Amino acid sequence: MSERIIRGRVDRSGALVSADTPLLRLQQRAGAGLDKPLALPHLARLVALAQRLHRDISRPLYAADDHSDIHALVRITPDADGASLEISDWRTRPVMQPQVPVIADSAAVPQSWTWECDQQLRLVALHAAPDAPAIPDGWEGRSLSELFELQPDEDGRFPVLRALARQSRFESQRVQAAGIAMTLSGEALFDATGRFTGFRGLAVVAEDQVPAEPKGGATLVDPAFGSLPLSDPQFGRRIDGALRGPLSRIIATAETISGQFDGPIRADYARYAGDIAHAGRHLLGLVDDLADLQNIERPGFKAARDEIDLGDLARRAVGLLGMKAEEKGIRIDAPRTDDRAPATGEFRRVLQVLLNLLGNAIRYSPENSQIWIRVDREDDRAMVTVADQGQGIDAEQQAVVFEKFERLGRTDSGGSGLGLYIARRLARAMDGELTVDSAPGQGARFTLSLPARDIA
Amino acid sequence: MSESVSSPGIDPPSPTLSARLRELAGYLAAPAAGRLTEEQRALSLGVARRLVVDVAARLDPRIDPGLLWNEWLRGGLPCAARLAGVCFARAEEHRWREQSGQRTSPPPVLSEPETAHADAPAESVPLSDIDRAYLALQIADRRRFDALGNPALAIADLDGETFRTLLLDIAAWRLAEVSGDKRRAADLGDAVRVAIERQAEETGMAHAGQAYHEILGAELPGAAAAAIARHNWPTLIALAASAHRRAYDDMAMTLLTAETAALPSLLAPLRLDHAALAPLEASLVMLPARAVADVNNGE
Repeated sequence: MSERIIRGRVDRSGALVSADTPLLRLQQRAGAGLDKPLALPHLARLVALAQRLHRDISRPLYAADDHSDIHALVRITPDADGASLEISDWRTRPVMQPQVPVIADSAAVPQSWTWECDQQLRLVALHAAPDAPAIPDGWEGRSLSELFELQPDEDGRFPVLRALARQSRFESQRVQAAGIAMTLSGEALFDATGRFTGFRGLAVVAEDQVPAEPKGGATLVDPAFGSLPLSDPQFGRRIDGALRGPLSRIIATAETISGQFDGPIRADYARYAGDIAHAGRHLLGLVDDLADLQNIERPGFKAARDEIDLGDLARRAVGLLGMKAEEKGIRIDAPRTDDRAPATGEFRRVLQVLLNLLGNAIRYSPENSQIWIRVDREDDRAMVTVADQGQGIDAEQQAVVFEKFERLGRTDSGGSGLGLYIARRLARAMDGELTVDSAPGQGARFTLSLPARDIA
Repeated sequence: MSESVSSPGIDPPSPTLSARLRELAGYLAAPAAGRLTEEQRALSLGVARRLVVDVAARLDPRIDPGLLWNEWLRGGLPCAARLAGVCFARAEEHRWREQSGQRTSPPPVLSEPETAHADAPAESVPLSDIDRAYLALQIADRRRFDALGNPALAIADLDGETFRTLLLDIAAWRLAEVSGDKRRAADLGDAVRVAIERQAEETGMAHAGQAYHEILGAELPGAAAAAIARHNWPTLIALAASAHRRAYDDMAMTLLTAETAALPSLLAPLRLDHAALAPLEASLVMLPARAVADVNNGE
C-alpha cells in the first residue's frame, strides 16, 4: 500500500486546474489535460457529489486506461471555489482478461479447490485438484460464506467482503471448510457490459492447519491470577474457539449490510450496521488482547515501532465510538484535522489504548456532557489526553486504577477491569507512559505519552 | 483403414504416413475449404482427452487414464468419428467465449454505492424461479470445465449413444488389460450397465436451458437480448437450443457456423429485435478461422 498522497484541484466548473503527476497523466491519457474538464467519469461524479452535499467525502476510486486498472481511495473536500482532491492507496494493475476460464496459477498449486461464484456469492463451480480434499456434497448454489466459514484477518477484516464492495481481486481470505483450514483468493469477473458477475479463484489448504503449541512450555505463574483461566496457556485458544467464530459471523453479516452488497437500504440502517461491524471488530480485538495477555506480561515484550500520528489515531477512535457517545448526548471535542502529534508506537496498540480511554470516558461521563481529546508535544514526548466531566477519581483510586481487575470503584460498568492495566502495559512496551490526573467531581484526564517523532 | 489411400509401392505404411496421406486425400477432395488451425486442433484434442479420462474414471477408478490415452494417441481413438463433432463444437464455443473475454472492456467505474448494486436482490430474499433456473444453467455450464478452467464436456451433456460407444470402447480396452481376471471382467460389465443407467438420469445444459427457457415466458426476448449484450454465449445457445428443440452442442455449432444473414431467422424464436443481434454478429465476424459457409467470412 502506497502512503503517498496524490493531490489535485478542481475548479467550480469541474476543470482540473492542478494535479500531481500520476493524476495529470491519467487525465491526459483520458484525452484531456490541465484546465480541461475532469475526464475520469467516476472521479468527476464523486466531485459533483461532494459539491452537491457540501461536505467532505471519502470513497474508493476506480479508473482505467488502455493498459491498466487503477484502484485508489479519494478524499474530496469541496469549497467555494471548487474542490480539493487527495488520492491515496494508489494501486495499478494490468487489465485482466475477464471470462477467461483458465486459472493459470492453479496449475502449480496442489491441495487446492477451484471455485467460482456469482455476484451474490452463490457457488456455480467447485472442482478439486487430484490431491485435494474431497469436495463436500450439495455445494451447488450455496453461498460462498456458507460453505467457507470466513475468518477475519489480523485487522478484523474480511478480504472477500472488501473485494466484493470494491469489485476487485482478493487474496489471503482465511476460511474453514468441512473442518479444513483453507485460504481463498479470487479474481473479480465482469461481463461485456462491465457488469460484475462474481469471483473465480482458488481455495488452498492452509499449511499450518494445526494451531501452534504455546512456546516455552513453562506455565506462567501469576500471583494475581492464581488459578484463573488467564494463567492457563490454553486459555487463548479456548477463547478463540468460543468467541472468535460467533464474532466473526456478526462482523461479516454487519459488513454485508453496511456495504449494501445486497441492494440499497436506508442510510441510517447501513450506518447502524457499520457501527455493529466496528464494535464487533473492536470486540474481536479485545478477544485478541485477552488471549495475548500472557504475551504482554512476558518479560521483554515489545510492541512494533510504527510511524504514527496521535492526532490521526485520536480521530479514528472518535470515529469508532462517536455513535456510542451520541447515544448519551455526549459531545466529543476531537483534535482538528491539522492537529498532528507524530510519534513512534504500534498503530493498532495505540488505537487500542485510545479506544479504552475514550470508552471509559464515555462510560463514566454524565449524559449531555463533553469529552475533550487534545494532542500535544513536550520535549521528546508526544502526548494525547482524554478528559471527561465524569465524577473523577480520588487519590486513593488513582493509585490502583491501573491494577488488574480494577474498575474505578464501579461494578455496573460492564468492563472486565483489565482495560487500563493492559493499556498501561502497552504504553510502557512502546517506551511510553499512561498517567491519570483527576480530582473528585472534576472529571479525569488520562494522558498517553509516547516517543515523539520528528518529521521533515 | 488406411489402405484405400496408401500409395502402391509404400508398404507397409507407417501410421504417420498413413495419417498424412488421409489428410492429403481430404485436402485434394476440397482444396478450397479452410482447414483446422493448430489452436482448434489442440483444443479439440484436449476436450477429447478430458472426456476419455472422465468416462474411464466413471467406469473404473482403477483404470490408468494416462496409459489409456497414450495407447489411443498412438493407435487412434476408436470412436473418433463420433467424438469429432462434440469435441469440435465444444472447442469452438470455447474459442468464442475466450475471444469475448479478451475483448471485454476493463471493469467499469463503480457508480455511487447507493446504486452500485441496485440490481442485486438481497441474499435473504428467496430466489425467484427465474433466478433459480439461471443459477442451475450456470452450474451446468461450469461443469463443462476441468479444475484448471480448461474446456471439457460434461458426461451429462453427451447424447446417450456417444456415451455408450465411448464407454464400450474404454471397457474393451480395459478388458484386454485384465483379460486374465474373470472376476474383474464381470465387474466391468456391471460397471458399464450402471454407468449407462446413471448417465441416462443425469441432466446437463439441455435440461437446464430448457427449464430456463420455459420459466422465462414473456421475458424471453429480454433475457436473450441481455445474454447477447453481455456476451453470455452459453445462455444464448441454451435458449436457442431449447427454442429449436435441438441439442446444445448442435445449436452451438449451428450458430458458430452461421452466416451473418442467417442469424435473424435462426434466432427468430427468441423474438429479438434486429438491433439486439448486432453484438452477436460483430462477435462472430471477429472470430478467426470460423467454419462458416461463406468463405469470405472468417476464413
